[in-house]
Amino acid sequence: MSFHGGLKLAHHKESLMGEEVVEAPIPEHLYLSLRMNQGDEARAVVSVGEYVLKGQCIAVADDDMVLPVHAPTSGTVTDISVQPSAAPDAAMATVITITTDGLDRTIEPMVVNIRSHQDIIELMQKSGIAGMGGAGFPAYMKYKQPVKTLIINGAECEPYIACDEALMLAKPEAVISGTDWMRQACQATTAVIAIEDTSTGIQAALEAAIQKSSMNHILVKKIPSIYPIGGEKQVIEVLTGQQVPEGQTPLVLGLLMQNVATAVALADVIESGLPLLNRFITITGDAVSRPVNVNAMIGTPLSDLLSLTEVNYTAIKRLVIGGPMMGFAMPNDAIGIDKTSNCLLAMKEELLPSGNMPCIRCGDCVQVCPQELLPQQLFWYISGESNDLEKARDHYVFDCIECGACAYVCPSHIKLVDYYRYAKAELRYLDFKKQHSDHAKQRFDARENRLERIKAERMAKRHDKTAKLKDKQVAKKEISDALARIKKIKDGQSP
Amino acid sequence: MKLETPTAPHQHNRRSVRQVMAWVLLALLPAVVAHVFYFGTGVLIQGVLATAFAMFFEYLSLKLRKQPIKLFLTDLSAPVTAWLLVLCISPIAPWYVSVIGMFFAIVIAKHLYGGLGHNIFNPAMVGFAVILIAFPQSMSLWLAPWGISQPVLSFSDALTWIFFGGGQWIDAMTAATPLSALQIGQQQGMTYSEIITQPIFGNFGGLGWEWVANWLFLGGLLLLFKKIITWHVPVTLLLVACLFSYPFYAFDPDSFLSPMQHVFSGGLMMAAFFIATDPTSGCSSKKGKMIFAAGVAILTVLIRQFGAFPDGVAFAVLLMNMSAPLIDQLTIPKPYGQQGKGSVSEP
Repeated sequence: MSFHGGLKLAHHKESLMGEEVVEAPIPEHLYLSLRMNQGDEARAVVSVGEYVLKGQCIAVADDDMVLPVHAPTSGTVTDISVQPSAAPDAAMATVITITTDGLDRTIEPMVVNIRSHQDIIELMQKSGIAGMGGAGFPAYMKYKQPVKTLIINGAECEPYIACDEALMLAKPEAVISGTDWMRQACQATTAVIAIEDTSTGIQAALEAAIQKSSMNHILVKKIPSIYPIGGEKQVIEVLTGQQVPEGQTPLVLGLLMQNVATAVALADVIESGLPLLNRFITITGDAVSRPVNVNAMIGTPLSDLLSLTEVNYTAIKRLVIGGPMMGFAMPNDAIGIDKTSNCLLAMKEELLPSGNMPCIRCGDCVQVCPQELLPQQLFWYISGESNDLEKARDHYVFDCIECGACAYVCPSHIKLVDYYRYAKAELRYLDFKKQHSDHAKQRFDARENRLERIKAERMAKRHDKTAKLKDKQVAKKEISDALARIKKIKDGQSP
Repeated sequence: MKLETPTAPHQHNRRSVRQVMAWVLLALLPAVVAHVFYFGTGVLIQGVLATAFAMFFEYLSLKLRKQPIKLFLTDLSAPVTAWLLVLCISPIAPWYVSVIGMFFAIVIAKHLYGGLGHNIFNPAMVGFAVILIAFPQSMSLWLAPWGISQPVLSFSDALTWIFFGGGQWIDAMTAATPLSALQIGQQQGMTYSEIITQPIFGNFGGLGWEWVANWLFLGGLLLLFKKIITWHVPVTLLLVACLFSYPFYAFDPDSFLSPMQHVFSGGLMMAAFFIATDPTSGCSSKKGKMIFAAGVAILTVLIRQFGAFPDGVAFAVLLMNMSAPLIDQLTIPKPYGQQGKGSVSEP
């Protein structure tokens, strides 16, 4: 099974294979962003000057889309301010700075007592487990209904990134136990761990761990290493031959997918009783002479990570969190990593001149698009003078997964993904505005109708009365009645 | 540390428009060599002439449109247009023919519509159609292919012929194109089987022409291999041309061309790999490309058999260029998740 399009990209991770994972020391400062990737923030419950312990909750979630934030080590809160964060586009976020004391003093671990699948789901929420592969949504939110099969995604999203592979090699037992906890949480009968066919030794390591724990309902399957195989939709198509219907989640196919790092995070939480505090991250790029995989605390600044290996600092032109295809360039190195940061790329390559040449409609982008869109047509409608965004909607711009394959092959070097992100944002805004004005119009129409109706009723009443007065007898009676009423009122008012 | 924050992707396959155009030029090379082999060096003179004027008109248009000159002048798109046109016209056509062709191709068809990537019509075919209508005689007067009249026209003879008109040796050296020979012969009441016994015909097309077509095919394979074009247009175009012309031929082989004649004479092979595959003036989706190619094939066969012009490829392409936006609108492919490839399971 395969999916449409895609790219065969150089992996750039040969030198990382079989290397030990480096345990990052406690950095002097931790920068903990309270922002979820989609924009909502947790609410800080500590203040500047406060001493916090490892595992202590420092920000709480006020709604379902947000996860609590915990201190990864002990120290003093020295700043709470709005700064660029590791979120997409280095978005501004409230960041809590902890100046560490190196003592790593820990809170009393939670007593983990699991009696039902609901307990596991609550634990995921309480311990701040986000999807660690990509979008970073709260992991617990996926468990809405029972499914048949749980898929654990062990395919790296992009070239250079090797942290998930390192994780599976370093902690195969945790992968398997985390997978099984998740399987129980979604009440699936089987679980499949998908790994790339270029990986070596992972399948054997995982299968040994399965044997050891006799969890034969967990399978390991290899999938072709074609970008963007790490994408949820593409993994599902390759494994099942099915496509997730538009506007739906994999739940409708009886599937639930989580990243392998998320599964390990759950296993760690259950074992230690402490919330999610660390993650594996790859430090690589052509400005790094010795790439490494690091186990680092959430909030570790990029500068501290770079200091763990041999880096050609003066050559660095770009610092990218994530991979070379979808990652986000960071404005400086004093930004702390978040729960979704799987890779730090230090790049020295000069940028290609972009957007100088017009689109020649060569169709290379169509060949590689995994969503089977027509990227050149989308570009035409979005960039055109008419700015015909509705046409972009007709050409399914909302199905774009922003993998960047089109921009990678574009011979005119057009930043295609930027156009699609713009179109999506603009269309969402226009829809929002239209919804508003539709509402206002509805209210206005309702009021107009009401006034019209009242007016009509009054007219009818008056009409009835004037019709009656045409009869002299009735008219006389009406008049005398009216006079009597007036007299009565007057009498009543001045007794 | 303060850094630039460009957007993703942060890597590129490093192919550029200029490279794409260079590959197309390279793919035309075998056909040019075959052309020289059978028809002499006239095509080279025409090529240099057309390229020079293409660049001149390109420069002029860019200047008038206030576009970056160096960037576009070096993208190699003008030489591609020039060589495509040159391979369509007679190697001994007067100099002004290719100059006028280039004017209409570059200035009218390309830059008046917005320049590179914005032309509705294939520039080379616009240029070709204009000179086909304006100079029908020059266009049908070809050199006789090698094998009929030896030796081949020398370089200086070709030069004289192109710039100062023909000499007395004209009749010995020139011949009609195979397709116009067929048309003329038919008008004189000859049957096709009689006409193709003439020496200008080869094994399955025109002598010489069939080899140029073969080498165009080879160049086309190079473009396929380099993924500059996809199979959809050439395969559909050639297949439909054969399938559509065969019933006519089977019905009356004396009045209708065989599918082989259709494919190997005139401009069909060129259209299949180099003209109808032009992405700017063609269709976007796979289905659209196939409809486009089928349209070119059917119209070409119809014009050749029933039209006033011996070859109809240029007009067929231009007619389909007009239809391309409509075809595109009607063939928007369904993306992932909307193709019915997901059966909803019961929870």
